[in-house]
Amino acid sequence: MSIEIRHLSKQFGTFAALRDVNLEIQSGELLALLGPSGSGKTTLLRVIAGLETADSGQVLFNNEDTTRQSIRDRQVGFVFQHYALFRNMTIFENVAFGLRVRPKDCRLKDAEIRERVTNLLQLVQLDWLADRYPHQLSGGQRQRIALARALAVEPKVLLLDEPFGALDAKVRKELRIWLRRLHDDMHITSVFVTHDQEEALEVSDRVVVMNEGRIEQIGTPDAVYEQPANPFVYEFLGHVNLFHGRIHRGRAIISDIEIEAPEHAEAENLAAIAYVRPHDIEIDRVTNGESALAAHIVHIVSIGPIVRLELAHDDSSNKNLVQVEISKDRFRELQLTKGDRVYIKPRRLELFPSHASANSIH
Amino acid sequence: MTTITISYPDKARRTAITQEPVWVRRTLISLALIFLALFLFVPLISVFYEALKKGVDVYFAAITEPDARAAIRLTLIAAAIAVPLNLIFGVAAAWAIAKFEFRGKNILTTLIDLPFSVSPIIAGLIYVLVFGLQGWLGPWLAEHDIKIIFAVPGIVLATVFVTVPFIARELIPLMQAQGTEEEEAAVILGASGWQTFWRITLPNIKWGLLYGVILCNARAMGEFGAVSVVSGHIRGQTNTLPLHVEILYNEYNYAAAFAVASLLALLALITLAIKTFVESKVTQQKTKE
Repeated sequence: MSIEIRHLSKQFGTFAALRDVNLEIQSGELLALLGPSGSGKTTLLRVIAGLETADSGQVLFNNEDTTRQSIRDRQVGFVFQHYALFRNMTIFENVAFGLRVRPKDCRLKDAEIRERVTNLLQLVQLDWLADRYPHQLSGGQRQRIALARALAVEPKVLLLDEPFGALDAKVRKELRIWLRRLHDDMHITSVFVTHDQEEALEVSDRVVVMNEGRIEQIGTPDAVYEQPANPFVYEFLGHVNLFHGRIHRGRAIISDIEIEAPEHAEAENLAAIAYVRPHDIEIDRVTNGESALAAHIVHIVSIGPIVRLELAHDDSSNKNLVQVEISKDRFRELQLTKGDRVYIKPRRLELFPSHASANSIH
Repeated sequence: MTTITISYPDKARRTAITQEPVWVRRTLISLALIFLALFLFVPLISVFYEALKKGVDVYFAAITEPDARAAIRLTLIAAAIAVPLNLIFGVAAAWAIAKFEFRGKNILTTLIDLPFSVSPIIAGLIYVLVFGLQGWLGPWLAEHDIKIIFAVPGIVLATVFVTVPFIARELIPLMQAQGTEEEEAAVILGASGWQTFWRITLPNIKWGLLYGVILCNARAMGEFGAVSVVSGHIRGQTNTLPLHVEILYNEYNYAAAFAVASLLALLALITLAIKTFVESKVTQQKTKE
């Protein structure tokens, strides 16, 4: 089922949770709503579910306006951050709940309910917990049961509100992969909310980056990561280094170095901020004639196959530390140690005229 | 207020730092025990002792004579009306306060506490002022031959008033702690309002609710002040158990007074036993999740 959101706005007192949000979600898609807390992503999800009503705007399911539809008729599955399992029921009864509360004339027979619930419990690999109560399960198990419960009623849309937010890192990673696989098997239109950019990039087909009640960018994980639409998205998605400089007739000038910036050909001596990802910085012990920034190493952290270096500019007027990520092989080749002097040069950078970053997260 | 405040003592971690010296602990414990003995156990025992002093026959005669039976019946009627009424009101009020945001929520919460903060005598007087012969509605009621004050309806009204807070007060924090997520999940799964209430909300609050009902019932049967004002003390007609005890006592009929009082004491003991049981269930329900 496709979902279309038109001009949605929602106000909580004086706080604007959603400001004129427009979004189209394709049928069978797995979409991530990504943003910092207070960005409106959960509100948007709850409006889609029908748990909140928007002040203005429409939500369309398959081109049909749902504004006047009750929650019960929307046929959505919802997974809560804190699971919201029914504490007074066994796991089996939790999953069976949606089937048991149907009106008598369209309710399945007991044997059919039993079969479907058993299948679902097998799907989430927890059929051996059927007779337990929610409080006897671990967080990861509870969330899988919550998912099975949501799927039991065969929803047309699956909505997940920070589904892995309350879990520890390892379980989170496992469940993430598992959710992706499940979605690939079932192809149910799914929307999930997260503030974890890694999660959004890893799991979803498309990412919607939200901030202060607005959508900042919509795109595939690659697109939002590689071509951020604005400084906010750049800073929110992954580590980033900030350099202050100028753009002048298609060239970016950052202290001693000059880099081609053809997309800013008409700029005349404009102040700009350059964003550079830690892995997009070249590092060497010598300058091979080209212009480069001089710096020295203040900190070395080795994380698996990657080594993260923190560098301080030699130019003491610039107090910002530069983060650089290089492969372990390159690190060994250069034989770097703390305090060493090095030369760095951005390989790729994204330039934004300074005024554009006025409302960035800094 | 303190009468219904329940504390759920966490299993206090006993570390060397929080451990008091032996003599301090012993002194505190003995003080508490002596206090309890003087002010609780001795009076309780004396009630049963005085009641049975003149023999079992006198005892049973005192509680089975017609006036006593009428008092028991009236007390049961008042409780049987007040408790269900407050059950419905308490659940509705707690539901509204805990699960919804609306204007005047604070006022409602404060009003629920009113019967605790106001003297029961005042509660009785309010009804006399409204329904009494010289009250606002008095002439109209007299015209239509409806008797509220010095009759059973007045006693029921006064009982309802003083027992209003018990169930609501017990449920509000419980429901607030449980939040609305389970109800939301149920509705999304297709449950109707009634189904959500019967299958999700009610089972989640059942022990807290029962606890509130027990306290409410104990107060309904034991209420003296408010009922005394509206009752008129007509023997065999408008006397509840506590009022009957007072009358007997004032007539120097100690054995009978204590015999009837022993019924109330017995009720208190039974309430206490059930309360202890339910309390442990409430704690269990709270610690789940």
